[in-house]
Amino acid sequence: MSLDEKSVAAVASRFGNVPKDAPGAEFDERAVRRMQRGVKVRTWLPYYLMLAPGVLYFLVFHYYPIYLAKLAFEDFRIFGDNLWVGLKHFGVLFGSPVFYQVLANTLIISGMKILFVFPVPIVVALFINEVRNSNLRRFIQSAIYLPHFLSWVVIAGIFIAALSPSSGVVNEITGWFGLAPKGFMTDSGSIRWVVVFSEMWRSAGWDSLLYFAAIMAIDPQLYDAAEMDGANRWHKIWHVTLPGIAPTIATLFILNVGLFMNAGFDQIINLSNDAIRDQIDIIDTYVYRIGLQSGQFSLATAAGLFKGVIGMALIVAAHTISKRLTGKGVW
Amino acid sequence: MRTNTTRFERIEQTIIVSALLLMVVVTVQPVLHLLAISLSDPAEVPGMSGLAVLPDGFSLDVWRLLITHPNVLRGLLNSVFITVSGTILNVVFTALMAWALSRPRLPGRRVLIVFVLVTIVFEPGLIPDYFVVRELGLLNSYWSVILFKMVNAWYLIILIRFFEEVPGELLEAAELDGANAFQTLWRVVLPLTRPALATITLFYLVYHWNDFLRPMIYLNDQAMQPLQVVLRQFVVEGDKAGMVGVQAMNTYEGASQINVRALEAGMIMLTIAPILAVYPLILRFFTKGTMSGALKG
Repeated sequence: MSLDEKSVAAVASRFGNVPKDAPGAEFDERAVRRMQRGVKVRTWLPYYLMLAPGVLYFLVFHYYPIYLAKLAFEDFRIFGDNLWVGLKHFGVLFGSPVFYQVLANTLIISGMKILFVFPVPIVVALFINEVRNSNLRRFIQSAIYLPHFLSWVVIAGIFIAALSPSSGVVNEITGWFGLAPKGFMTDSGSIRWVVVFSEMWRSAGWDSLLYFAAIMAIDPQLYDAAEMDGANRWHKIWHVTLPGIAPTIATLFILNVGLFMNAGFDQIINLSNDAIRDQIDIIDTYVYRIGLQSGQFSLATAAGLFKGVIGMALIVAAHTISKRLTGKGVW
Repeated sequence: MRTNTTRFERIEQTIIVSALLLMVVVTVQPVLHLLAISLSDPAEVPGMSGLAVLPDGFSLDVWRLLITHPNVLRGLLNSVFITVSGTILNVVFTALMAWALSRPRLPGRRVLIVFVLVTIVFEPGLIPDYFVVRELGLLNSYWSVILFKMVNAWYLIILIRFFEEVPGELLEAAELDGANAFQTLWRVVLPLTRPALATITLFYLVYHWNDFLRPMIYLNDQAMQPLQVVLRQFVVEGDKAGMVGVQAMNTYEGASQINVRALEAGMIMLTIAPILAVYPLILRFFTKGTMSGALKG
């Protein structure tokens, strides 16, 4: 599950209040049960045929990998069967300082993103709602949604160019204030902020769409009533708009916490370089590096499995809490 | 309304709009700047300001070099092939599966939905995925990247929800007319859920076009790499020789004059171009879909 599926999931949760027993379900169930088995098979067989390729896909590409994750408990052999070694690789993993470094980086980067990126789209949506001219509003929205659809390779390219010490726009602007050019991409003090800001650049606009949609759903009469009570712009935002979108904020916040272990693989693999790797190396990039680049398959699988299990606990907890709090789950 | 707008409120409004316009500039300027550099006279590029959004002089040298460069051309064709074939498979199998799972009385429906949800919740990681592809003998085959995410669980769930909204009377009417499951899907359900299908198609399209990780891992042959991987080698990994190698310098007259910065800019713009081409459609379908969902909710 990548980060940009967050927004899809949030949208999915918006459609959650479709009645479960939609029309079409309203046949007499007892009559159905009385139907002969043969009729039942004949009715549903085409549907199972349509399901078959998809189910096969999930079995092969999603369930078979779960079985293959047993590699974490084995020594990998190029020829012959792997050797079962129990928790050996987990011992190596938990005994290695590098692992704690990447775990810490994962938590720090996810934490920074929640702290500094999460609130931005809420403010953006509130601001967009205050723009009265609908053409201007549409223009702003069209521009700020775009980066969400660009790949991290492209965004990394854009940031490398914009942050270049010799020709980048950022150093040109800081130069006006007499600051010496700085290589932000290779500076261990600034690279985590590059990660945070590039995440903001990519997703603040698009994520605001979810909040904006929630604002649009607020009953306009509430604003009229507030106006009659003499409420100004800020009163209305505070007493009508924010309470109106609070469930959406809660759902997305919980979902973000549920995805805490995913600090942004696609992003970091493209922003990383030798000078600052120790600052932003996360579990995912660590798995990629030691597994696919150095061939330590078992150790890498163990690290991936560790992340998968924690991630599963978080996302299930997030779903349960969200469901209890807002009535809408994560899926 | 206008009459009781105080001066203070007008200042507030100006600040809000200015903040949003600043965001627009920060979002769009870096992209326009790269476009400007790629279209500028190569001799002017080294002296250009990072703020420039208009070309300094005009030249198509960069673009000419890019679209005739063997790696770039190969990458472009590979990207188009992977994206088109991948998206077709995605949409067909996601729609078929969603249609079956949207029938409320389908025996085993709940179990199957849980079967899908489990894959969202638990991901065993990159290495087991790699070994599946390897054991299937799909390394260095386009199938590895085409089949990966053939059915995206999230999109599947969204599509099920849309299909469930199709009025049951219409489905019953079709069934009474003797339509089979495929015909009902094709003639009744799909035409009624066109915006949802379009949205999902566009999302799959963007996913395949932007994917660099799977091709990078599963395809070792340079000739099979899509544009994103070629761009990554050039801009992120800094492999300048592969792009402006000796061969290119000899082939293209004046190629040595071309600034690496301009070439990188052109390469990024080339990779973005198809996204920009479908972006109006994305805005139209997706924002509309989200809005109607919100209004109903």
